[in-house]
This record gives sequence, structure tokens and C-alpha cells, in this order.
Amino acid sequence: MNDVEEIIQKANKYRWEIGENLHDAILESIYTDAARIADKTVTRQGGKQKFDWDRWIDKLVTGRWTGFPIMFLLLVIVFWLTISGANVPSAMIASLLVDTIHPLLKDGANFLHFPWWLSGVLIDGAYLALAWVISVMLPPMAIFFPLFTLLEDFGYLPRVAFNMDNLYRRVGAHGKQALTMSMGFGCNAAGVIAARIIDSPRERIIAIITNNFSLCNGRWPTQILIATIFIGGAVPSFLAGVTSAAAVMIVAVLGVLFSLIVSWALSRSVLKGEASAFSLELPPYRPPRFLQTLYTSLIDRTIMVLWRAVVFAAPAGVAIWLVANVTINNVSIAEYFINWTDPYAMILGLNGVIILAYIIAIPANEIVIPTVLMLTVLTTKATGLGAGAGVMFEMESVNDTAALLHAGGWSVLTGINLMLFSLLHNPCSTTIYTIYKETKSMKWTLISTFLPIVMGIVLCFFVAQFWQLFA
Amino acid sequence: MVDPIYALSIFSALLIILLVLFFPEKGIITRWKKIKSQTGRVLIEDALKHLYDCEFKNLDCSLNSLTGNLTLKADQTASVISNLESMGLVTSTGNKISLTSEGRSYAIRVVRIHRLWERYLADNTSVSETEWHAIAEEREHETTDEDANRLAARLGNPLVDPHGDPIPNADGVILAKQGITLNNLEEGKYARIIHIEDEPKEVYAQLTAQGLYPGMQIYVLQSSKEKIRFEADGEECVLAPVLASNLTVLPFTEKESVQESFENLSSLETDEAATIIGISNAMRGQQRRRMLDFGIVPGTVVHTRLRSLKGDPAAYEVRGALIALRKNQSDLIHIKKIKEN
Repeated sequence: MNDVEEIIQKANKYRWEIGENLHDAILESIYTDAARIADKTVTRQGGKQKFDWDRWIDKLVTGRWTGFPIMFLLLVIVFWLTISGANVPSAMIASLLVDTIHPLLKDGANFLHFPWWLSGVLIDGAYLALAWVISVMLPPMAIFFPLFTLLEDFGYLPRVAFNMDNLYRRVGAHGKQALTMSMGFGCNAAGVIAARIIDSPRERIIAIITNNFSLCNGRWPTQILIATIFIGGAVPSFLAGVTSAAAVMIVAVLGVLFSLIVSWALSRSVLKGEASAFSLELPPYRPPRFLQTLYTSLIDRTIMVLWRAVVFAAPAGVAIWLVANVTINNVSIAEYFINWTDPYAMILGLNGVIILAYIIAIPANEIVIPTVLMLTVLTTKATGLGAGAGVMFEMESVNDTAALLHAGGWSVLTGINLMLFSLLHNPCSTTIYTIYKETKSMKWTLISTFLPIVMGIVLCFFVAQFWQLFA
Repeated sequence: MVDPIYALSIFSALLIILLVLFFPEKGIITRWKKIKSQTGRVLIEDALKHLYDCEFKNLDCSLNSLTGNLTLKADQTASVISNLESMGLVTSTGNKISLTSEGRSYAIRVVRIHRLWERYLADNTSVSETEWHAIAEEREHETTDEDANRLAARLGNPLVDPHGDPIPNADGVILAKQGITLNNLEEGKYARIIHIEDEPKEVYAQLTAQGLYPGMQIYVLQSSKEKIRFEADGEECVLAPVLASNLTVLPFTEKESVQESFENLSSLETDEAATIIGISNAMRGQQRRRMLDFGIVPGTVVHTRLRSLKGDPAAYEVRGALIALRKNQSDLIHIKKIKEN
């Protein structure tokens, strides 16, 4: 016992004498030793290379006049490839899953004498939601993420973080947040996972919380449809295309602005005390491995989409079918809810249908529009549209959709506020679940969930009230 | 339909009320919490700390100085003192109040927790240095001994707080005072800053605004009754002697190597080369470990390779890797330029 105490005392004495810089000194001597051993044993080839490609590319992609144009050009190309490339496979999957397999399943259920409610819950509810999520989400994911991975594999993405860091430093965030934000344009859950590349705790949480301000895949179609109907419809027809495209871009840019403002506010309030450290390595360029990237990326995304469709979207489908079909005194609970919330929703420039759609479609933004259409048919008692209560559908032509929504009492204000609300509302349940898994913290999960929806309600309120004041 | 004017005014009023209540630091809720926390225990511990501080500095402590320190009225202070006396923590003879040995060990315990928290805030958070003291002041009253020991273990049982004050160990043993104040250092002498007094707050803010921190090497150029002019890590500073008395320095002994002159990595132009001399002590915790992991240690050769649009961040080649650093980091890395012919 005495020996031990003696040793501890000795250790303490040495600690006082050596002081605080012990770790530095140890590391320094490790590096010195390593360098000496390397010099002795490693032979290096010749002098300087004739032409250093890495440095040439670096000068180009981070240059004063070339850096930002190259960045925007690449971003535009990636988006263009994603949007134009995803249309065809999306339509194919939709026609296969929704137009072909769905009637077959219904026929099969009839043949087996399923009670109507069972085939309704399983096929019209769960299956349709699943089919919808897969057809809307899978093609863009399968194009967008491999492209991103190729750029990363080549070594370009860290240079984007390098270029953007100046801006992000000013709002208390990390340059790599530019990357996680771009990933969020594909899928917020993927963007949240991508925040792992930020190794500083504070900046990582900021990137996670603000990722929802990137319009994801599931929300782009909503934005485009609503902008075409309400913004494009409000201007002369030769301007319609340009105006509605501009409106969607404005909403997306607004999202980026919100992500910067919220980063700034968070880093100065709730996250003030979290540890923060900046580091950014710029790895050497290398030829990307096309086939390997393509293969792993496709498999990963497909599994992710299927998992999400089964775990989150299918139960939502069941809920959607049930609210439209469970009736009290011959009135569905969906209608009760819609009639009850309508006056409050009007104050926000929205309506009860939108509120209900956003509540039951929390698991997946992709099914908001089909749900809205179904509920509108339900409340307006329109005949000859859709396939019955609780069956989500989309229409062949934009004009028919417009006619239905106008019949449901939608105005230009409803359109604008739906676009804003689609940008600023709680993340989908996949993203919420991912945030919890990534942060292991209830606090950050709750903040990420409720901050955007509170912002959305406040913004919609002010837009609606000022609109009514001046219009 | 609700009239928009009514709706707007009601909602705006609601927002303003919420802001007034919950605004960080200035909101009513936080203020109310702060007032509520001024309980008996806090006053007792703060009084003991002040008495210990006087003892440490060999000053006599009176009712007046205590009243000023605790921002109380004189009669309130008197009741705190009589409280302490009945608990056997202090004795007062005439105007002089002094600690009993129990009182001293209680005070050292609070001082230990306070300095541990300051160390924690400096190393493991991004709280700015001007706020360390205030936050530690609050937490020192809420921390139990077990928590303090756990905190110390987590920090690797640090020896000094970020201001250079020694942290007492769990048995209450504290290092003796070392060094001299800067106004007593002769001209032409090299020394190292070992302590910066963090009270009063305004003085501390002035000193840190000059970029001074413990571990800095200084060289006195001129020392007179009006001003003290000195070089700190290569940059010239001027302080009034009153301010300089808040800095404690330890003159270099003969055998220690004096670093003659150096520049900061941020001043290295594109494609210039330099040798690392060291990392400033102001870079702490995770950030410092990161730098060491990259191989930024004395003797390493670095080249500046790229500057982003506004020059911040810049990319440096270190041991064959390209690493981007922000200016506030490269400011803290000391180098000596290599003249290439």
C-alpha cells in the first residue's frame, strides 16, 4: 500500500515539474522518430515532376474568376441530369406499380372475396403509398447520388467546401455544410447522414438542423406543380413557363437563405457553448471509379428507398385510407377534421385539406399531393374523379388538377402559401428518425422538428394577412 | 374571416411578449432565474472565495471590500459574515476578517471547482474567453465533489486553469505563487506570461483584446512609470503599469531556449516555405489535437499553396498533404520563413 502511494506522489511531483505541454512533446518526438526512420528506409524517386496536374486543377477550381462559375455550372448540370433523367423512369415505375399492378391486386382481392375494408387498407392504403414513394423517389435518388459520389470520388467536393467556407464561417458554420446542404436537395435523410463529414460537434449539429431547409426530392414535384397552376396561371400564358420556374427557384433560394440565417442564430444561441474545431483536408485528385461507384450507390439508394417505403410510407397509407373511410354518422373523420381546422387554416392562407394532408403525410412528402387531391375530391363531393375514398391518385393533366383545386376553393394565396409551407415544415419521419440516430439527442431532434414548422406557420401567417390587407 | 389588421396586431403582440420572456440572456425568464439563484449558499461560497483570494494576495479583508465584491448592502454582508462565524468558517477580530482552517478548505474546494470549469470551458467548448469566468461562477455552486472529480479526470487532471492559476488537487493542495508582475520586469529581459488576472472583468477584457494569454513569450522594450512597451510573440504591445500589474510573468532562466523572433503562418505568402516553430497556447483542446494530428509540430516544413476568394481559408501543404486552415487558426501557428534562392 505504501509503495503505491509513493508512486502516485512521485507521479504527481513529475506532473508539476513537467507541466502542461507533455502531449505536444510526445507527438513532436514521434514525428521526429518517424521522419528519421522514413529517411533511412524509404527511397524517393527523382526530383520534381514536370507538370503537377493537382496544382493546376486546384488553381482552376478555387481560382478567383473560375472557381464559382465552375461550381455553379456543375451544380446546374447535376440538377438538370437528375430532373430530366428521372422523368422517364418515374413515369415507367408509376405506370407499372400504380396503373398495372394496383388493379391486378384489386381483382385478386375480389377473386379471393376479401372484405372491402381489408382490400382497402392493404391495397388502396399501404400498397399505393408504397408505390407512390418508390416511383417518385427512386429514379431521382438513383441519378443524383451517384453523380455526387463521382464528384466526391474525383476529389472535387472538398474544394467546394474550401470555396464556400468564407460564407459559412460568417454564420458560424463549416464550409462542408455547403455539401450536406446540396445532398439535402436529393434527400434530407441522406443530407443528415452526410453531416458526419463535419468532425466538429457544433458545426455538425448546425448542419443537421438546417438540412431540412434544402428542398428535397419529395418536395420538388409539389413545388413545380403548384407553381405551374397558381403562379404560371396568374400571368399571361407566354410568360407562364418562365414565371413558374422562377417561383420554384425563388423558394429554393429562400431555403438556402433560411439555412444561413438559422445557422447564424443557432451558433449564437443554443449552440454557443458546443465545441468547435475547423479542419478541412484537400485530398489529391484521382480518376473516379465509375462502375464501382454506380453499383454501390444504386444498391444503397434502392435499399434505402425500399426500407423507407415499407417502414414509413406503408403505415401512412393505412392511416390515409382509414381517415377517409372511417365514418361517424356517415361523415368521414377526415371531413370532420377538415371542417374543424378550416377556419384556423384560413388565417394562415391554407385550408383544412392541406393541414390534414401534411399531418398524415409526415412519413413522406411524396404523397402530399396525391393525398391533397383525394381529400379535395372527398370534401367537394366531385364525381368521376379518383378511385374512391382513401385512394390516392394523381391526374394526367395539369389543367384537370387546376380545375379540381379551384373547385376546392384554392386561390393564388393558397398556392403561394402551400409552396412556402412545403419548404418550411417538419422534416419527414425518416429524416426525424435519422436525426435522432445521428445525434443521439432528444433535444436536437425536437429542435430540428419544430423549428421549421414554427417558422412556416409564422411566415404563412404574415404572408396571408398582408395579402388580405392589400389585395 | 378575421380582419387582417386585428390578426396582425394580436399576433405581433404575442411574438413580442414571447421574445421579451424567452430572449437569451436578456429575457425575463433568464433574469428571474439569476435572481432566484442568489441564495444563501451562493453568498456564503462567494464570500469565502473572496476571503481566500485576499489571503492568497496577502491583503487584509474588511467588511467593505467584501460588500463591494458581493454587490450587497452593508447590513446584508454583515449577516452573511455572522452566519459564517456561527458555522465556524471565519473569525473576525476588529475590522479584520480571516478564514479558519475549515473555512479555508471549503474555499479551496470552491476555487478548485471554479478553475476546473474554466478549464473545461476553454478546452472543450467554444465559449469565448470573456465569458469563462461568469459561467464558472454559476456552475461552481451547483457542482458536487464527485462531479468535480469526474470533471477533473475527464480533463486529465489539469494543473492550471486557462488564466494560469493553479488548480488545487482533490486534497486541497495548491501550488505556491510564482513569478513577478509585468511592471516589475526589467527592460531587455525575456519572460513567459504565466497568469492573467481575470478580475475585474473590464481589465481582463482589455488584456485579452490585446491578444495576451498564458504561455506567450514576451520581451520588455521599455518600462517606465507611464507605460510599459513590450513584444509579445513578435507583436508590440503597450500597457499602462496598472494594467501590467494584472499580468504575472516568469523570467527565463539561462538554460531555456529563447525564441528570438518569429512570424505567424497567416503571413506566409502563396508558394513561400517556412518551418513551424510551435503552436500558440491559445489554441486548445480538440483544435490543438487536430493540428498535431496533421503533423503541425516544430520542425515541419509548410508551403502556402492556395488562397480562397477572400484569402480565408488558405490551403497549406504539410508533410505531403494539402490542409485548409482558417485565418484565426493560422494566426496561432508560429513559423520561421525559409529563404529560397
